[in-house]
Amino acid sequence: MRFFLGALLLLAIAAIAPMFVRLEYFYFAGFVVLQFIVLATAWNILGGFAGYVNFGTGAFFAVGAYSAVALYKAVALPLGLQILAGAATAGLLGLGVGLLTLRLRGIFFSIATIAITIILETVVMNWTYVGGAKGLPILRPTEIPLHFTNYTQWLFFVMTGIVLIAVAIARYIQTGWIGRGLRAIRDNEGAAECSGVPTLKLKLAAATVSGALMGAAGAPFAQYLSFIEPSSAFSLNYAVNALAMPIIGGTAHWIGPVIGAILLGSVQQIVTVTISSEMNVLVVGVMLVVFVVAAPEGVLGLWRRYVLKKGDE
Amino acid sequence: MKTILKLVAAFAAAAILGASAQAQQPIKIGIGIAQTGPLGGGGKAALLALQIWRDDVNAKGGMLGRKVELISYDDQTNPSIVPGIYTKLLDIDKVDLLIAPYGTNVTAPIMPLVKQRNKLLMGNFSFDVNAQIKHDMWFNNAPWGAGALAWGGPFLDAAQQLGGKTIAFMAADAEFAQNLCTGGRAIAKAKGLQAVYDQNYPPNSVDFSSIIRAVRAAKADIVFICSYPAESAAIVRAVAEIGVGPTVKIIGGGMVGLQFAPIMEALGPLLNGFVNYNSYVPEKTMTNPAVKGFLDRYSVRAKAEKVDPLGFYLPPFNYAIGQMLEQAIGATKSLDDKVLAEYLRKNVMKTMVGEIKFDTVGEWTTPRVVMAQFRGIKGKDLEQFRLPGKQIIIAPAAFKSGDLLPYDKARN
Repeated sequence: MRFFLGALLLLAIAAIAPMFVRLEYFYFAGFVVLQFIVLATAWNILGGFAGYVNFGTGAFFAVGAYSAVALYKAVALPLGLQILAGAATAGLLGLGVGLLTLRLRGIFFSIATIAITIILETVVMNWTYVGGAKGLPILRPTEIPLHFTNYTQWLFFVMTGIVLIAVAIARYIQTGWIGRGLRAIRDNEGAAECSGVPTLKLKLAAATVSGALMGAAGAPFAQYLSFIEPSSAFSLNYAVNALAMPIIGGTAHWIGPVIGAILLGSVQQIVTVTISSEMNVLVVGVMLVVFVVAAPEGVLGLWRRYVLKKGDE
Repeated sequence: MKTILKLVAAFAAAAILGASAQAQQPIKIGIGIAQTGPLGGGGKAALLALQIWRDDVNAKGGMLGRKVELISYDDQTNPSIVPGIYTKLLDIDKVDLLIAPYGTNVTAPIMPLVKQRNKLLMGNFSFDVNAQIKHDMWFNNAPWGAGALAWGGPFLDAAQQLGGKTIAFMAADAEFAQNLCTGGRAIAKAKGLQAVYDQNYPPNSVDFSSIIRAVRAAKADIVFICSYPAESAAIVRAVAEIGVGPTVKIIGGGMVGLQFAPIMEALGPLLNGFVNYNSYVPEKTMTNPAVKGFLDRYSVRAKAEKVDPLGFYLPPFNYAIGQMLEQAIGATKSLDDKVLAEYLRKNVMKTMVGEIKFDTVGEWTTPRVVMAQFRGIKGKDLEQFRLPGKQIIIAPAAFKSGDLLPYDKARN
């Protein structure tokens, strides 16, 4: 109950934020951080809970983005339906990819997800309806919903909603039988199978939900940029960040990716416009190495060890 | 009474000091420009040129009695971070004027933002980004004007003069290359040239042996290439190793990267015979004392800052962006975006790269893409590229410095 009240409170804050914060920069930068919360949370469902490392975040994100763009161009679909369509398409992709690749384990699964990104990027590059390799400028709708004064504020509010849904789903998975099954797969898939855990079904469910959430995060991307082109939509940066954020925050709990995304996403936004953008990627790398070596359980592990004094059990 | 007088005096002093402080505040010009990523090399050279312009203006006392401050961020050649950078420039840094990033994909995302905020935006070598948005305060400093035809036209005219009838296309699956080749295909069709080979390839390809062999097998007279820097270098090497066959009379067209010093230096004599687009080459028909003086000063700083030491392609045009702002601000005595845009729209801009007039969509009214043929390059000495006769201009006629030689003759 407390979780849902907190979620409603956050949504309300996002709704009334424009009354207090008028700087558009806040919404542009905030949107990116929120987008990474969704991606990190989605990645953690398969990568953190089940231990299947997905390097294809860019593919799912871009499938969501391009599904939304195609439908917006074809029938001027409203943003809400674009997000649903992006989530559905990326979810189906997750299911398909899962069927094809989830029999692979470890590094072989990860390599397969990179291959899928490359294949899909090549397809989109040659799909002229959505701009192909040249990209496609998007004219945002002239009508701005609710009380918002510009479209970026509206996108920020919508992305806050997606964040809350993504986190609620991750929390539900973690605390329920699905989460227990996924953790069993992560610890020892053979033993889990022998114990009656329906491993393939659970992995497929995790891949579908994870893909759908990544697609939902990608759907507003073209409206945010007013432009879409394959190299930025399929960027490897999404895969790197979606992986680094849960590792930094902690993969064992749904709050880990949220902490990692807020921490890393905010630092990246600050570094981009203060020290140097070149440092941006370096920051991700250095933080990743530091956390993997010094705090393999992420911020959550540090919290447990030094604040709750619980040790390594 | 004395207290009141003191207070009034204090307020007056504060007001005067405040006004004085306002007058002393610099004019802030903001830009997000690639310092890393695929366009990082060009972006560094472009930013250096703008810094030289800033220093020149400030040495003369600034504009409107105020110094000029350039605030720049690295856009990493990544469109997704550009809106954040430009809103930061406007909302946090509170810049007075904006210059667009170098390139099309990174400029497109800020067009709605500047339109929504009624901001003047000086374009920087992008292509056709205002076609849909139609922002009336957009002025793109790029020599190709509003269409891709300016690139392919002179190349294919020259090819026909050599008797070319069949054409092979190869293009990277990426924005700029596809735009270029789309224009090339349209012109080739209009000229009645027969396309015997047409192949797109994934960006960042490094092995072109199969494509070059296919071009050779197709026995084309003309080979029109639209490629990015790393690919351009790989294609030149593949052509040197495998050969394109004796039928080819002209090869090149839209190869990005053959304008950049590190690639020119690395390829050296392998470039001989290639015909490629450019914005500036140091031929006697094109150079002028202003550009030469600028490039002399630029090369000293470029060496120190380890950026493109030649700086032919982007730097003169970036300096020219500064000159246009200087002219507009000087003439209007204003920093108001609308006033400056009105001036830029109605007047001929006098810059060191020539006189520029903008059309209704903010592109050059008269495009002038230079087509030049590499000739007589020996060894890998970079300094030779500063001499005339190494890149013979074959078009446009106003800058022509020699006739086109068939590829086979010019490469030896």
